[in-house]
Amino acid sequence: MKQILLITDGCSNVGESPVMAAAHARQEGITVNVVGVVDYGTIGELGSREIADIAKAGGGISRIVGTPQLAQTIQMMTRKTVVQTIQQAVNKEVKKILGEGSLEELPPLQRSQVVTVVDELTETTPLRIALLIDASASMKPKLGAVEDAIRDLALSLEAREGKSEIAVFHFPGRSSSEEAMLDLDWTHNVSQVRSLFSKLKMRGATPTGPAIFKVLEHYRYDTLDEQRERPTDDGYDEKEGMIGGYVV
Amino acid sequence: MGMLSNPPYPAGTVISGKWRGNRYVVERMLGRGANGTVYLVQRQGRRERYALKIGNDTLELQSEINVLTSLQSSRKRREHRAHRESALSSYLLESDDFKEDDSVPFYVMRYVEGRPLHHFLAKNGASWLGLVGLKLLEKLRNLHECGFVFGDLKPENVLVSNYGEAELIDYGGASPLGRSVKQFTEWHDRGYWNAGSRTGDENYDLFAFAVLCLRLLNEEGLKAAAAQLPQTRSADELVKLARSLPDKKLSSWLCLALKGGFPGSAAATEAWKTHIYSTRKPGKETMATPGWLKSAFALSLFVLVFTIYYVFRF
Repeated sequence: MKQILLITDGCSNVGESPVMAAAHARQEGITVNVVGVVDYGTIGELGSREIADIAKAGGGISRIVGTPQLAQTIQMMTRKTVVQTIQQAVNKEVKKILGEGSLEELPPLQRSQVVTVVDELTETTPLRIALLIDASASMKPKLGAVEDAIRDLALSLEAREGKSEIAVFHFPGRSSSEEAMLDLDWTHNVSQVRSLFSKLKMRGATPTGPAIFKVLEHYRYDTLDEQRERPTDDGYDEKEGMIGGYVV
Repeated sequence: MGMLSNPPYPAGTVISGKWRGNRYVVERMLGRGANGTVYLVQRQGRRERYALKIGNDTLELQSEINVLTSLQSSRKRREHRAHRESALSSYLLESDDFKEDDSVPFYVMRYVEGRPLHHFLAKNGASWLGLVGLKLLEKLRNLHECGFVFGDLKPENVLVSNYGEAELIDYGGASPLGRSVKQFTEWHDRGYWNAGSRTGDENYDLFAFAVLCLRLLNEEGLKAAAAQLPQTRSADELVKLARSLPDKKLSSWLCLALKGGFPGSAAATEAWKTHIYSTRKPGKETMATPGWLKSAFALSLFVLVFTIYYVFRF
């Protein structure tokens, strides 16, 4: 299962539309969640609408919070999205078997069994989360809190039974040709989340859309790499097949 | 969090089950948990009162019901082996859906009369901690023996009756041993203090229990320790707090729990029982003989002497 978590504090102003980028992500099976971080003042109507739209296009959820709630919020969003994605897949299977109906309409005994499967998969499905951090000038005072929140998320993921990895990007990159920069490549090790943004040079622009595309590229590139390494692997992206196996 | 904005059901609302048909009359709201709202209800036409939890998130609530069900069945198995009555252990009564506009899932459990742990100790005094702590540890040990971790242990999730019986409420955070902890509260979470993983093991609950004790005995100190920067926050701060407690036996028990030093909750319960629960009371009583008792004793001595004098005189 793949997710992108975008953490930002305002509107994009350069390049392709982030909503379109999120729609592309969804098309490739990657859910996009968005957190707007606001400590002083408000995020503005435009900003908050964009945040909601990106999440909607990316099949994820969005929240606007202050830095004190950041860690708890991204934790909750990640978990909720994992559960949702699995529930959707399971519901599809349930429909296939029973013709009609969702979880809510199942009689108690069947429902209990289905939820057991959902719980099991929530814990064991391999999970990859790319964190995409807005590092425009106004975000600077919040980056400490962002890093703490990332470390806290990594700690929670480490406790999962399934393989869980995170990668961290910030945007914009060092030059105008670089949409986003990779700070930390796929890792399951909490101790690697340390002084991620210490050497950052803040720049004004907010190319949210191009940055999302860059992360998609990284996902794609990495998948190719994986296939080269293990050509006959049963593939841990075949979520549907796996779930079918559990339910039947 | 849509469910939180829902207005509570007024008293007299009848919640009827779609599948099993039982009807429950709402008496009043008891509280809100992470996954739903809990009401005090009466089964229609009967006298018994129950607690009924109702929530919108079918999946989360069902997950909680699943934990309670498997807890119940493993308890029954153990009690069956021990040839005991299992009347007290039936915590979960039934689960069903309430059909209003949508189907809203609910479940019915035993009603535990009492107040949250922190209110109980504030009212009755910290000297109850030895007994209530033991009762609570026994509950945790039981849960662990059934293969579950409670997870979100905090004073708000412990109800204490007037006579010191402790009961865990809100199993929304419970998960099987070895799985990741589902729900937790910052202060009580081992990961928050950089003191270990969020994998549910017996020591996770014991750590939360130790923080719970610190919170009950020195909330200001705990607040100050939690205000540190996340990177520098550590269990050493909590150990320092524990060391500063006047009761040395309690403080060394807490230190061990904070460092994850107990082999399990059974050993931790035994240690609490022998060092904290049973040593506390006699110590207290011999030290503090009330003044009126001393003067009464002196008076009775005087009367004795006078009587002897009186008897021998005549």
